[in-house]
Amino acid sequence: MLTISNLHAAYGKVEVLHGISLEVPEGRVVTLIGSNGAGKTTTMRAISGMIKPVSGTVTLGGKDITGLDSYRISRAGLAHSPEGRRVFATMTVNDNLLLGAFPRLTRARAKGDVAADLERAMELFPRLKERRTQLAGTLSGGEQQMLAMARATMLNPDVILLDEPSMGLAPILVEEVFRIIRNLKERNVTMLLVEQFAAAALQVADYGYVLENGRIAVSGPSAKLRDDPAVKAAYLGG
Amino acid sequence: MRNRKWGLYVAGIALLALFPVVVGNPYYIHLAETILIYAILLFGLDIVVGYTGEVSLGHAALFGIGSYTAGIFFFKLGVPLVLVNVAASIVVTAAFGALLALPALRVTGPYLAMVTLAFGTIVQILINEMTFLTEGPLGIKVPKPSLFGHKLSEFEFFWFVAALMVIALVAVTRILRSHLGRAFQALRDSPVACDCMGVSVYRYKVYAFVISAGLAGLAGCLYTYSEEYISPNTYNFELTILFLLAVIMGGRKTRSGPLLGALIVVTLPSLLSDIHLFRGIATGAAILGVVLAGALLARKQKTARDVAIPVASVIGMAVFSYFLENIVDWRLTIFGFMTLFVVYYLQDGIVGYIRGTLEKFRPRQLAPLAAWEANADASRAWAPPAKAGEATGNLLKADAILMQFGGLKALNEVDLRVARGAIHGLIGPNGSGKSTMMNVLTGIYQPTRGGVMFEGKSIVGNTPSEIALAGIARTFQNVQLFGEMTVTENVLVGLHHTFKSNLFDVVFHTRRYRDEERAAHQRAAGILHFIGLADLAHEEARNLPYGKQRLLEIGRALGLDPRLLLLDEPAAGLTAPDITELIEIIRKIRDHGITVILIEHHMDVVMTISDIVTVLDFGQKIAEEAPAHVRADPKVIEAYLGSGAADAAHGAAAA
Repeated sequence: MLTISNLHAAYGKVEVLHGISLEVPEGRVVTLIGSNGAGKTTTMRAISGMIKPVSGTVTLGGKDITGLDSYRISRAGLAHSPEGRRVFATMTVNDNLLLGAFPRLTRARAKGDVAADLERAMELFPRLKERRTQLAGTLSGGEQQMLAMARATMLNPDVILLDEPSMGLAPILVEEVFRIIRNLKERNVTMLLVEQFAAAALQVADYGYVLENGRIAVSGPSAKLRDDPAVKAAYLGG
Repeated sequence: MRNRKWGLYVAGIALLALFPVVVGNPYYIHLAETILIYAILLFGLDIVVGYTGEVSLGHAALFGIGSYTAGIFFFKLGVPLVLVNVAASIVVTAAFGALLALPALRVTGPYLAMVTLAFGTIVQILINEMTFLTEGPLGIKVPKPSLFGHKLSEFEFFWFVAALMVIALVAVTRILRSHLGRAFQALRDSPVACDCMGVSVYRYKVYAFVISAGLAGLAGCLYTYSEEYISPNTYNFELTILFLLAVIMGGRKTRSGPLLGALIVVTLPSLLSDIHLFRGIATGAAILGVVLAGALLARKQKTARDVAIPVASVIGMAVFSYFLENIVDWRLTIFGFMTLFVVYYLQDGIVGYIRGTLEKFRPRQLAPLAAWEANADASRAWAPPAKAGEATGNLLKADAILMQFGGLKALNEVDLRVARGAIHGLIGPNGSGKSTMMNVLTGIYQPTRGGVMFEGKSIVGNTPSEIALAGIARTFQNVQLFGEMTVTENVLVGLHHTFKSNLFDVVFHTRRYRDEERAAHQRAAGILHFIGLADLAHEEARNLPYGKQRLLEIGRALGLDPRLLLLDEPAAGLTAPDITELIEIIRKIRDHGITVILIEHHMDVVMTISDIVTVLDFGQKIAEEAPAHVRADPKVIEAYLGSGAADAAHGAAAA
């Protein structure tokens, strides 16, 4: 579904990604793990057009989306739930979710039944249902994270990028976030996941890539990575 | 490299010295003089616009105040001494600058710009109406001044202006490179972090305006003597816009930018006064635009859509110029178009654009680390131990803190005792009031009720910068670094409190200033070594990956020599190996006698290093015990830890 080949990206003069290639097949969950500064978030940002790649290609469902503006990429069917959540703080939960469906109101995407999808999102994220008329800025950190994820699903996307969904959340909510990711997976949602809890990410993902200094060091089915002694020592805390 | 720089300086000074002799034509000398005078003002305007990031629409008025101070001193008070009048202009205008900055306490951004606009309008009207002082619309005549009994000729006055411009250039450069300049930049990038580093945002904004106004006053005074006649309608809104255009077009945060900007805005009106000349320029620009666009298209660096608008507009301007009878009436329109063009295509100004282009061909090398920087050892990170003996007991005592937002009690009668030398964990569900507590302790929020005692003194009602200087440093949950500044500079802002130097020390590079600057740099290098960022010392903070940014925040906070360090989710987003490193760093910080309050959701961090853990839920304290007990507390498990699966997620990460 999502194919990245030989992606190079830089911030200013500093090249951060030195040729990343990876693949996210339809209906699968793929995780990117690596230490800080390895380039996980940069990869996500380069895919969704928040930074322009220096070279390399990104294709979504066979369509080249490399270097397009973010809004065009989201219209093409890629939803990004960014690190740090970034909800629309002064709008209600409901409006935040409807904005997630905005590209569907253009000719770019099939409209479908937005109202029904809104209800489905509320089912999936029951905490949001209780708070649908509340301003997003007044939600707690955990609820904002739910909202960012729910907003991404409202696009009816072909692929969702989830960047650090459990960051800054209480343990009890981390549990909830992973429950939701598993739930989405059961519905055959294609996802690329970056997570601080690498071990938990490898539990839910089908396939994993280990990023080291802007390059893919190891990749393989999650189960295999979980048992790889080198990966264990470096990323799973022993 | 150093030699080339000096060569450039000598060439510049020689150019200024020889210019009047070589040119000889009084018209051109006067034009060049005006450029230099504008440049002095623009150096000052750049401090406000480029560094503190505020927009001032009042600089034409400040310029006018400088001019009229000189005019009134000469004409009304009969002071013939030019140096006295120069000093008076600077002082009086600087005082007005302080007045102009007072509203900065409450307003910022577009609102402050509105205030400065109102200031400009009022000043222009006052100059016009206060005839007893200013002679109103008639204006004031002032001859060229005498210096030490010798009446200056046109040539000599040019040199006088040139000398003052060079002095202003050196002074401004030195100010901006010092701790003052760092404070100006810091308050733009993150006001809240700036305050929490003990650098009062308000005070430094006022400083910036005062210095900026002083330079405007100097420029105004020189302008009076240069023109030999001043009248109110010079200092109008158009001039203010011209100044801003010059800084932005030339390139902010540089000295060459304002010089170039001054050159453009002074010569442009003359160029635009002759229709034939304008036709020539417009045609030239059109040809250049088409050729450039062609080249960019051929090399596939731009698409046809990117270049369509600029090419169409330059051609349009050229065609238009041949239909014009008279150019003078269209001057403002052309300025308007230029402003649009600059704002849209050259956001970093001409100097910034040239630099950017040069860097493309010759990639910027990060400045190499000085030998002492590379070899800095972490022991330098710490301030000399405080003379106070090893006191025990509570360092911080918060009593019955109530923090109410509307009807919501974010903190409901919470007590907190933090023992000296402890690592005190603070956990709780999202929205339980942990960050609110941080903000109360650091003075960002004033509690609705309740008291906070730090080292036996009440700190409720103190400003964040006062509390920071008293010894409480913090990091932020959503990273608040000074993004456009380097890693070293970020730490240097934390070390701001080690500077006792004043403006005089900075401008004259006195021994005191040099010693303090060197000591601060050594401390900064030591701190960077300690947090493991030494090899990134000269990288801009915004280019660091997230985890390193969090470490840098800790380093910056250490610069403050705190007795209490508040860490707000330092491990958020860190993977297992980075967490081990972080735990090590926090332990070492404690071992150096710094008490730590730690907010964190990573249980592996909190439970391994905390001496005691406080648990908040819905603004209330539900537990306060040793980590092992907290883990087993059913209330905590229910509200926060969760039962099985959370342990799976965390356990897997930790195990």
